[in-house]
Amino acid sequence: METTSCLLTWIIFSPMLFALVAFLTPSAFEGKLRTITLIQTLFSAVLAIVLYFNFDGSLAGPQMAHLVAWLPEWGINYLVSIDGLSLPLVMLTAFISPVAILGTWPSKDGELKKEKFFVMMLMFLQTGMYGTFLASDLFLFYFFWEVVLIPMFFLIGVWGGKERIYATVKFFLYTMVGSLLMLVAIFYMLKTSAAQFQEPNAAFVSLHSLHFAFDGTSLMSAMASPQTWLFLAFALAFVIKVPMVPFHTWLPDAHVQAPTVGSVFLAAVLLKLGTYGLMRIAIPFFPEAAFYFKDFFIIMGVIGIIYGAFCALGQTDFKKLVAYSSVSHMGFIMVGLFAFNKVAFAGSLYQMINHGISAGGLFLIVGFLYERLHTRNLNEFGGLSKTVPVMAIAFMIMTLSSVALPGTNGFVGEFPILLGAFQVQPFYVLFAGTGVILGAVYALKAYQLVMLGPQTRTDLGHLHDLNAKEIVAMVILAIFIFGIGFFPKTFFGKSDATLEQYSDSIIGRVVPNGH
Amino acid sequence: MDINTVFPLIPLTKLELLNLLPLFTISFGALFSLLAGTHKVKGHGLAFIVSAIFLICAILQGMFPLFSSDITLLGGSLTFSPFTKTANLMIMIFALIGIVLTYGHDHKEGLLAEIYSLILFSTAGMILMVSTTHLIMMFIALEIMSLAVYVMVAMRRNSRFSAEAGLKYFVLGGLASALFLYGTALVFGALGSFELLALESALRMSAHQSFIFFIGLGMIVVAMLFKVGAFPFHGWLPDVYQGASTNVTAFMGAAVKFTAFLAFAKIAQYLIFVDTVPALKWFQFFIWFIAAASMIYGNFVAIAQNELKRMLAFSTIAHTGYLLLGLYAMNIGEGSVESILLYLFFYAISNLGAFAVIALFEEKNQKDLHIEQIAGLGIKHPILGTLLTIFLLSMAGIPLTSGFIGKYGLFSSAVNAGEVHLVIIAVLTSVVSVYYYLRVVIYLFMKESTLDTAKFQKLKGATIAAFISAAATLQFGLFPKAIIHFIKMIGK
Repeated sequence: METTSCLLTWIIFSPMLFALVAFLTPSAFEGKLRTITLIQTLFSAVLAIVLYFNFDGSLAGPQMAHLVAWLPEWGINYLVSIDGLSLPLVMLTAFISPVAILGTWPSKDGELKKEKFFVMMLMFLQTGMYGTFLASDLFLFYFFWEVVLIPMFFLIGVWGGKERIYATVKFFLYTMVGSLLMLVAIFYMLKTSAAQFQEPNAAFVSLHSLHFAFDGTSLMSAMASPQTWLFLAFALAFVIKVPMVPFHTWLPDAHVQAPTVGSVFLAAVLLKLGTYGLMRIAIPFFPEAAFYFKDFFIIMGVIGIIYGAFCALGQTDFKKLVAYSSVSHMGFIMVGLFAFNKVAFAGSLYQMINHGISAGGLFLIVGFLYERLHTRNLNEFGGLSKTVPVMAIAFMIMTLSSVALPGTNGFVGEFPILLGAFQVQPFYVLFAGTGVILGAVYALKAYQLVMLGPQTRTDLGHLHDLNAKEIVAMVILAIFIFGIGFFPKTFFGKSDATLEQYSDSIIGRVVPNGH
Repeated sequence: MDINTVFPLIPLTKLELLNLLPLFTISFGALFSLLAGTHKVKGHGLAFIVSAIFLICAILQGMFPLFSSDITLLGGSLTFSPFTKTANLMIMIFALIGIVLTYGHDHKEGLLAEIYSLILFSTAGMILMVSTTHLIMMFIALEIMSLAVYVMVAMRRNSRFSAEAGLKYFVLGGLASALFLYGTALVFGALGSFELLALESALRMSAHQSFIFFIGLGMIVVAMLFKVGAFPFHGWLPDVYQGASTNVTAFMGAAVKFTAFLAFAKIAQYLIFVDTVPALKWFQFFIWFIAAASMIYGNFVAIAQNELKRMLAFSTIAHTGYLLLGLYAMNIGEGSVESILLYLFFYAISNLGAFAVIALFEEKNQKDLHIEQIAGLGIKHPILGTLLTIFLLSMAGIPLTSGFIGKYGLFSSAVNAGEVHLVIIAVLTSVVSVYYYLRVVIYLFMKESTLDTAKFQKLKGATIAAFISAAATLQFGLFPKAIIHFIKMIGK
């Protein structure tokens, strides 16, 4: 294993190396910058594949750790490692990146706007995402968590639509409020750590052994417990990012204004940072408090599912429809995480990946249409399948994945969540289940309005079908959609050991009967 | 050769001389630079070179005896400990960046060549102020520093704003000095000493102090809060920041604030944080209140500013609030003074850098850079735009920059001391600060440039100063291990 000990560091920082290359590229080669970005994402994907095959699926704990002393006086170190929870998310990031680059390849070279800055921000963003998923030190996690904001701020603000500045400031400030309170909670945890071990230590493993007092006999006593406040501070930061209703209002704005590639990263990866944070930190570090407040989060998740679906149903803007569908689909993950059930935990992890693939795919479709017809209004399309059959097929696949048809990846995620949650919270799941139906309604409505029916536009003469790069992007996504749909074990098998241990330790600690 | 044959009048040991050497070098440098500035043609350049060389020498001299044992001079009124020597070193570094920043800018703004020696004179005052524990010595140091700065503020002769700023600063600053002196006299009257150490032990003798002592202490505290620019003693600050030539603003925002705050921390440590006197609780609460009020006031008022220097002036009030939070935490916990030093250092560097970039875009005799004038600048000048972004992100406390490390250290030491409420106020108001810092970034990168957009003024000095500050900001933000280790060492 010695040879792969730096692998995670390579995965995190190789995009920055390419960013340096991009920075030094003379302006005469500005047209080639996308190619450099593609090479970078493919390089990351190759590293991720190497990582996947070196990953030992039989180990439950973190592996391939890489430790560098960073701020030893404050108990803070650069410590990265990987386990079954972060592996799928790293793989998702590694595969969605080339897809996003291929799917948003600019059609004419002359249209490039501040191209160098753009590709550097994309690479910077990837470093931040990999770093957040791989960090095993709370401070490092926070560091990368914040770093992700900067490139996204620029991606929306510089290359976004008309209301881009409003959207990007809202996105930034919303996330900041949550994460700064999280920072205070981190201070408190490190203080406790220093009191317990003489020296503070921000590594996850070390913080896991801390116990924060919690008294759940009444709401009053729970609110007086330190664990409650720590949990709420972390949970606030994460549910803003998820986003959970009622903290979701930044999402439609950010999505609609962001350039397509930004939307893809936002939907596919950035939202997962929130659920990953809940799964990695908020729930396992403060299980009693999380268990105490589980009903609140499940109810909010269910409200998100239904509210998001109805909002999506009412949209005429295609991109907004997909954005609200994200709110709805992320609600399932919230339900799964706070059900405190083994099957539902696993389903939540799968759903993170699956939503990344289907939402990323749908945003790409929106991007294809917008680039060709310069509109996102659903009523201005109609009957396009005759003109662009390949796009129609791709769109159908993404739609089916989004509505969780059996045989696609969406089913693999949503079904275990509902199944697991039903065993413990049947009443809420009754409502959550309607989200699946509503999901089918709005997704198929969108498909119908765009692809089927009579052609209403007269300017479809120059509407061309998907080009080779776009087809490749769609094929990669389709492989994952059906691959995961038919052979989930092949794709998620390596996470089993970690998930098993994860749910056993949490459920064993907080659930009275231990089921 | 015996040392006493070189300096026959001053019976100093070698170590004492070594510790005093930077102060001598700077004072002589100020005089020589004054002399060099009289050259009719090359006065500015010569004064710059002379002052820069003397400053670099002083910095090198200051580095050698850094970890020598504590030296006490002049009957205990000057103390050189590793902590004060590090603070002195930092002040000299600010002065050096300030001098580099001034080079080139002096011609643009019509500043006299004396500006360089004035910077050195005030630096000498600052060194004295940080090193002393004697109230009268502190007053003299305060005056040495302030008088030079008053002149520097008013030096932009073609601008009426500069004259206004100079007058305002001088009159109000004079009032603060008078308060300080009167307060010192009252404290002396009550406790019979000017020595902070002696005063502290006198305080510990008896739980009940005379009313005169509290009046005197109140006056000293108000004078110091005026100097550090805390709400509600900040009235002079925005106008002075705007009216002064930008290089002077940069130097003030970094070095004067640094010095005044460290001096205030020292006074607070000896005279306010004495737990045996119950009535001092009111003073401690006063600091708590001023901290919260400065953070809230500074950050919210900065939102409404459309001019860059004015916005940074209000943001500096907010930063004073954060620092006062650290100071308050010092009362109840250990180890805060190092985090205050660290925060001040990082903030000062970012501040110098931000003003350096502003200086690069200001026209001659311009009062301030309007936010509309920087629209699209980041696209036109990507590197300078990025530099300004780095400085602003650092002040906002976003990771990658030193400001984040500083803020982390300050707030975490406050939480460690048990002061969580004030930290929550601090983080929530710093979300507000993110808004106005980002607003500048938005104008830099996300707005189209217009006819009003400022032109780049080719100034070598300011460019170099901006690059040095940016390098330091990123270096300490990404690899803070060395400096934190260093700060821990001097604390021991």
